[in-house]
Amino acid sequence: MSTRINDTTDLQAISRKRDLRRKTIPALAQAGPVSVWMILFVTLPMLYIIYISFMSRGVFGDVVYEFSLESYQTLLDSIYFKVIVKSLQVALFTTVACLLLGYPFAYYIARKPPAVASKLIMLIMIPFWTNSLMRLNSWLLLFQTSGPVNTFLQWAGITSEPVTFIYTDPLVMLGLVTNMLPFAVLPLYSTIEKLQNSLLEASSDLGANPRQTFFRITLPLTFPGIFSAVILVFIPSLGIYTVSDMLGGGKVLYIGNIIKNQFGSIRNWPLGAALSVLLLVITGALIFLYTRFSKLEDMEVV
Amino acid sequence: MKRILSGVLASAMLLALCACGGGTPAETTAGTDTPAETGAAEASTELNIYMWQQYISDQVVSDFEEANNCTVNISYMSDNADAITKLTAGGGQEYDLIMTCDAYMESLIAGGYVEELDLSRIPNSSNINSSYWSSPNHSIPYLGNYIYVVYNTETCPIEITCYNDLLDPALKGQITSIDGARNLFPMALVALGYDPNSENEEEIAEAYEWLVKYNENVVAYGNAEQNLTNGTASVAFTYDGNASWAFAETGGEDSPLVVAPFTDDAVQLGFDMYVIPTGAQHTDLAYKFLDYICDPEVMAQNLVEFPYFCPNDAAVAAAPESYRNDPSKDFDYKENVFFQEDVGDALTIYNDYYQMLKVGQ
Amino acid sequence: MASLTKVQRHRKALGILGDVYAILIYAVLYIPVVVMMIFSFNDQRYNYYWNGFTTQWYGKLFTNHALMDSLWYSLIIAVLATVISVVVGTLGALGLKRYEFKMKKFVNSMIFIPIIVPEIVLAVALLIIFMNVGFSLGMGSILIGHCTFCIPYAVVTIKGRISGDGETLEEASMDLGANRIQTFLRVTLPSIMPGVMSAAFLSFTLSIDDVVMSNMLSGAKNTTLPVLILSMNKSGVTPDVNALTTIMILVIVACMLLSNAVKAALRKRSAAA
Repeated sequence: MSTRINDTTDLQAISRKRDLRRKTIPALAQAGPVSVWMILFVTLPMLYIIYISFMSRGVFGDVVYEFSLESYQTLLDSIYFKVIVKSLQVALFTTVACLLLGYPFAYYIARKPPAVASKLIMLIMIPFWTNSLMRLNSWLLLFQTSGPVNTFLQWAGITSEPVTFIYTDPLVMLGLVTNMLPFAVLPLYSTIEKLQNSLLEASSDLGANPRQTFFRITLPLTFPGIFSAVILVFIPSLGIYTVSDMLGGGKVLYIGNIIKNQFGSIRNWPLGAALSVLLLVITGALIFLYTRFSKLEDMEVV
Repeated sequence: MKRILSGVLASAMLLALCACGGGTPAETTAGTDTPAETGAAEASTELNIYMWQQYISDQVVSDFEEANNCTVNISYMSDNADAITKLTAGGGQEYDLIMTCDAYMESLIAGGYVEELDLSRIPNSSNINSSYWSSPNHSIPYLGNYIYVVYNTETCPIEITCYNDLLDPALKGQITSIDGARNLFPMALVALGYDPNSENEEEIAEAYEWLVKYNENVVAYGNAEQNLTNGTASVAFTYDGNASWAFAETGGEDSPLVVAPFTDDAVQLGFDMYVIPTGAQHTDLAYKFLDYICDPEVMAQNLVEFPYFCPNDAAVAAAPESYRNDPSKDFDYKENVFFQEDVGDALTIYNDYYQMLKVGQ
Repeated sequence: MASLTKVQRHRKALGILGDVYAILIYAVLYIPVVVMMIFSFNDQRYNYYWNGFTTQWYGKLFTNHALMDSLWYSLIIAVLATVISVVVGTLGALGLKRYEFKMKKFVNSMIFIPIIVPEIVLAVALLIIFMNVGFSLGMGSILIGHCTFCIPYAVVTIKGRISGDGETLEEASMDLGANRIQTFLRVTLPSIMPGVMSAAFLSFTLSIDDVVMSNMLSGAKNTTLPVLILSMNKSGVTPDVNALTTIMILVIVACMLLSNAVKAALRKRSAAA
């Protein structure tokens, strides 16, 4: 049959047609929706927010489409700059605390037999099916002036006067750490779990003490997990406003709160957009760092 | 750039939604609501209200639903600015009644964002005390709030008789305060002897400095009732309604709380009023609701649950003893008040200083 | 010999230390949940302090209009967001894994943006664009927002489950006369089913607990449950919300135990057969 087709262009046309049916249409049907969705609702909005950040603000909080660097100048104001620095500090603290608490915990779980480990992981997840705001509210109830913690401290004679815990930075940080911990534990767990026992045994057989084994073998091999944990904890805690809203009593404000206010009561969209762009830049820088060490696709996000 | 982008996006979004097999429920795309013009003859079956949360009795609302065979959908705002955003963005598409406060009425009327009211369709509105009714052709006052100072005589280290007392270092971390630019700045302006609705940037800047000191003493913004009740704060700068609940929680008549005996400083009295946004879809029910809420018996029932200051004289007369003898209403400077006024362009100045105040802690 | 027991003793001590540490961490994670549950029995209008025991809130919560409406609203959005995300995510995962096309690299990196960028940034960006094209805020906008962060998680979860030999099986199926759709339903889908299930589960969890996106993009007639709770924070949370949250967590845990039991039973039966 094929001998009858001697014109090569014909052959190409047919193979192109077959390609279209075999490859292009299914590719379009499968990858199409997700690509369209991402371009429409991620790429375009992100580009537009950058555009808005260079516009000016109208009197009634409307956006005036005139180029201006005012929003970025405001960010450099000492007052806003201080909040940015403070937010970075808090996010850093949260990340370090989650890593320090989470690593041994993940290690503990990963060393258990798989059946037990999966149950222990499940046990971490259950509290997170409770509404996060209600869990934060619980901390408020526990730590308030006439709450159980203060009552206990006074009963035990540790303090004579009730201590003001609520509406302070430390309580907000407690809220942040407890809300973010699983995002550190899960990626850590999955890298530690992959760690080959034989490697650790080899290390100790060759005369390394446990500390050397940890710093020379375990830590470097679990580095991708650590970096995933850093990204998954640091970036969200930089932008989150619900924790400071619930536990900060309107006195503890981070970047997230300020962005929210610009789109709510204050109505300065360009400034809110500029702050969002700042968060984008910080995120971008961290991701860039991450891709130096490993592939983005390998990040353990879930 | 903007228009092109808008066009592309709008069509793309529509396509995306269709392609994804009804991403949006029929409710929002098909527009099941009958437009005012065509549906005027038919009675509406739903009423959409935008107002403050914890501000109207569930029972009162469900009685209205039953009587008029309709559904009342209430959504809640978290800031007065939200209502303004809704109104200026064509709120009539979504809501039939929006709650706003007296400060914004002038610009709202000027901008044509609210419908003119036909008071003959709201006969019960005659119960409203006209001295508390700033724009009778466009709004129906619902409830009012004194914003004043309440303190606990047992735990508060000083006696408070004026705003400047709130800056006393002895009160560090003792005050639970109301939030919002147009609630905080007037207090500072009065304390400094200026017009509470000043449009002068220097005065506002001075008020900002005053508030920075005040801020030192504030333990939290919001949650006044909670913080007074559980002992977190000994002083509250709050609404009379919230104070009333705090009095009730701490022993009613025997409560250690008192309304601060102010001597000279004026306190803010604000009214929340209902307006019908331009282009509202269910005006027939909106009118019925306005008349219903002005009914003395209905409002009296509402006052039991929400003991705020009420501009409806007949309702106050019909309200139970507990409301009329409420210790939170027991202060003798009820007439020495100021109102929030529209400050026009100066709002931006207030907002900027307010943001600085909140940021600079 | 002695040194061995020393090592063993050392190990044992470390083991106990590990147990204690794990229990402490679990305690910190569970304390808020337990406190939340306890306060659902609090006899007070708002949860300010413990004021005595009552079970009234478990009855009263069903008469709280605002609460029930927002719960219903949250559930509808979560179900729709889950369905859309799983469908788009499954197709997307297959497409991105198997085909080469021009924009692939670009789409792949776009997928990571919603996972990585702070949620508020995405929410604000969507808000600006919706306002600009005059897309009125409401269930539609919240749903788009939720899908935008659920789809990437779905894609990533499912992509991890697509095995290399899937394509060979599909070709075999088609060689045996099945058409594309039959092949998808009978061969492809079953092989990635665990991934699809966990993507669905994850999407539902993310959607129902979301505050930031919903808070920015709601505004129409109703709000979701988490947004309602956030706005309650200024005046105090009422104990009926605690009661509702308690019921929800118990239902979820019950469902989970049930599905585990069913899975175990099925495994046992297939092992027996």
